Amino acid sequence: MEPITRGLTPAKRTRRRLLAAVLTLPLLLGAAACGGDDDSGGSGNDKIELSFFWWGAEKRAELTEKALDLYTSKHPNVTFKKTWQANQGYFDKLATLTAGGNAPDIFQIDDNYISEYAERNVTLDLKPYTESGKLDITKISKGLIDYGTVDGKLAGLSMGENTQGLVYDKTLLTKNKLPEPTTGMSWEDFISWAATVSKTAKVPGTQDPSAVYQALWVYLRQNGKDLYKDKTLAFDEADITKWFTLWKGARDTGATPTPDVIHEGNATDISKQLVVTGKAGTSWVWVNQMPELKKNTESDLGVIAYPGDPSAQWARASMYFSAFRGTKHKDAAVDVLNFMANDPEAGKILGTDRGLPPNLDVRKTVAETATDPAMKQTIAVQDELSKKFGPTSPSVPPAGHSKVKTELVRIAEEVQYGRQTPEQGAAAFVTAAKAAIGQG
Amino acid sequence: MPVRPTEPVPPPPAATRRGGRARRRREDLAGYVFLSPWLLGLLGITAIPMLLSLYLSFTDYSPLIDVGEAQWVGFDNYREMFTADPSYWHAVRVTVTFALVAVPLKLAAALGVALLLNKAFKGIAVFRGLFYLPSLLGGSVAVAIVWRSMFNREGAFNSFLALFGIEGAPWVNDPQWALETLMLLAIWQFGAPMVIFLAGLKQVPTELYEAASVDGAGAWRQFTHITLPMLSPVIFFNLVLETIHGFQGFTSAFVLSGGTGGPVDSTLMYTLHLYNKGFVELNMGYASAMAWVFLLVVGLITVLLFNTGKFWVHYSDNEER
Repeated sequence: MEPITRGLTPAKRTRRRLLAAVLTLPLLLGAAACGGDDDSGGSGNDKIELSFFWWGAEKRAELTEKALDLYTSKHPNVTFKKTWQANQGYFDKLATLTAGGNAPDIFQIDDNYISEYAERNVTLDLKPYTESGKLDITKISKGLIDYGTVDGKLAGLSMGENTQGLVYDKTLLTKNKLPEPTTGMSWEDFISWAATVSKTAKVPGTQDPSAVYQALWVYLRQNGKDLYKDKTLAFDEADITKWFTLWKGARDTGATPTPDVIHEGNATDISKQLVVTGKAGTSWVWVNQMPELKKNTESDLGVIAYPGDPSAQWARASMYFSAFRGTKHKDAAVDVLNFMANDPEAGKILGTDRGLPPNLDVRKTVAETATDPAMKQTIAVQDELSKKFGPTSPSVPPAGHSKVKTELVRIAEEVQYGRQTPEQGAAAFVTAAKAAIGQG
Repeated sequence: MPVRPTEPVPPPPAATRRGGRARRRREDLAGYVFLSPWLLGLLGITAIPMLLSLYLSFTDYSPLIDVGEAQWVGFDNYREMFTADPSYWHAVRVTVTFALVAVPLKLAAALGVALLLNKAFKGIAVFRGLFYLPSLLGGSVAVAIVWRSMFNREGAFNSFLALFGIEGAPWVNDPQWALETLMLLAIWQFGAPMVIFLAGLKQVPTELYEAASVDGAGAWRQFTHITLPMLSPVIFFNLVLETIHGFQGFTSAFVLSGGTGGPVDSTLMYTLHLYNKGFVELNMGYASAMAWVFLLVVGLITVLLFNTGKFWVHYSDNEER
C-alpha cells in the first residue's frame, strides 16, 4: 500500500496537517485539565463538600440522608456527596477508592476491617479531637470507645451498640403449641428443644450456627476462652472440636436443616435469614437487626440471648463512622461525626437502625419516643440483656478478622457436608485462622 | 488548486531520498497523532498498570497504602502461592476442570445449533436471534441470579424433575453439583461461537457437497470430510477464544456463590480466588503475582493450541501459514 498523502498537493498536505493539529488539541487540553485539581482548603464559611459512604438497606439510606440534610440545614456551607450500597461488595469498593487516593471523607466501617484500616493509617485518629472537645464522647460508654480503639488510636466512632440475638418464629411455635426458648437455657437444652420443633412443626428447629462466628465467640467466652487475645487466637483445637461436635450431634437429631439449606442461610444477607424465609425456626443474628428481619416476614418474631450463660455476651459497637486521614476538611468531618453521634434530633432520625444510639441521653429519648414495635422490641431486649452482661468485653478484633470469618464458614461447611470430621475441621480452622491474623 | 491524477511512483532517485525521509517522518508523526487516543488508552489503562502490577507482585502491597510504601518481598508471593496456599491449588483444579469440560461442550453445542440454523426456511432469522439471546444476557449478573434460583432445592429445574418423580439435588448449594451448574450456565451461552460457526458454514462452497453426494457420500461422511475440514480454521479460532474465556470465568462464579466460591470452595475459580485475595483480604501483591502466573499459563496454553493447529487446521486457500 502506498502512503495516502502521496499525490496530494502541498496545499492539501498543509490542510491535512492543520486538521491533525485541531484534532489533537482537545486531547492535550483534556490532559492539562486533569492536572488542575486544585483545592482551596475549607475554613470558616467556605463551601465544603464531604463525601459520605455507607452500606445498608434502603431504610438506612433514607434515615442517613435525612440526618445529613439536617446537618446541612444547620451548616449551610457544608454539603454531602452521599453514596451507599448493599453490604456485599462494600468493602471491595472502599478498598478500591482508598487505593486510588479517593477514600470518602467519612465512611462506615465495622469490626471486620477497622483494625486493618487503622493499622494502615487510612483512618483519622479521633483521639486528639476528643481531648480538645471537638468530639464529645462523654455520653458514650467506655466499652464502645474501647471497641473502636486500635493501637491507642480512636479509629472509628461507634454509631450503634448491639449484642447477639437469637431470633425465633413466634407464630410457628404458637401454631404448633410449642414452648418458646428462653434466655439462659443451656446449649444442649436448646438443641433438644430445636429437635422437638423439627419433629412437631416439620420445620427445622434452628439454623446450624457452627459457621456463625459470633455464636462460636459467645460459646468460647462461656468456656473461659475468647476468640482473640491481643493479636493472637484465644482458643485451641479442642474448643473447636467441641463446638463442631455439638452441632454434628444436633444435625444427627434433626434439630438443624440439611447442609445445603444451612449454606443458604450462611451465604445470605439479613433479608433472607432462614427464620424469615420459613426454612428454620430460629436464626443467629444481632438484636438491632430485628426491624429489618420483621420487614421480610409475616410471622411474629421473638428475640432472646444466645444459649448458655448470657453474661458472656457484650455490648458491641455494631459499626462506626470513620474519617479519612487524607481528608482536606478534617475539622468539618469530625464535626459531622460529633453531630451524628450526639445531636438529639439526628439521633431521633437515625433511631436504632445501626444499633442503639451510642449517646446514652439520645438513647433514652429514642427509647421513650419509639413507635415502631420492632424497634421497641430491640431496645427492650437489649436493655434487658445489658443488665446481664459480664464485666469484661472483648477488645476489637485484629486485622484479618474478616478472613477468619470466611475460613470458619468454609470449614464449618466442610464438616456440615460431612467432608471433614469435627477434629479435622478444628485442626484446619486453627491453622487457617492463625494464618489469617498473621500469628506465627 | 486542481488535483492532478496520481502519477505512477518511480523509485525515488538518490538525490531526493533525504527529502523523502523527512517527509516520511512527518507522516509517521501524523500517524501517531491520529493514533494518540488509542495509544493513550493502551499506555494509561493497559500497559502501565500491567507493568506496575508486575512490580507489585514482588511486594506486600495493600490497596490501603501508597504504592511507594509497599515493601519489596522478592519471590515470597510466588513461593507462598506454590507451596503454602492450599486454596491456590484447589482453585487451579477447579478452573482446569471447568475449562476442560465446559469449553468442548460449549463448542459442540455452538456447532450443533449452527448446523441446524444453517438451513434456509421461513423465520430462520428469528431462530438465530433467539439462540443468540442467552449470550447477550449471559455475561450479566441478572442471569446468574436467575440461575441461582432456578437450580435451587425449590428451583424451577427441580419442579420440572418432580413431574417425572425425580427428586433433584440442591444443585447450586451442593458441593457435588455446584461446579456442574456453573458449567451448564457457560455452555448455555454458546451464542458467540455459534454466530462465528454460522458464518464459517456459509463459506463452505456448495459444489463440494454436490460433488460429494454425486460420489455417494452420506450426510455423516459429508460432515466429517467436508464440513469439519473446511470449518477447521473457524473451529480453531473459537477454540482459542473460548479456552481463554473459560479460564477467565468470573462473573457467574462470583454471583452464584455470593463471592465466596462456595459451597466449600467448589466453585472457587482462579480469578475468584485472585479477586478475594486482592480485594477482600487486601493482599494485592499476592493477587498481582497470581495474575501474572495466570497470564503466563494462559499464554502458554494458547501457544500450545497454535502448535497443535498445524496438524488439524486446514486453510483452503493453500497459503502457507
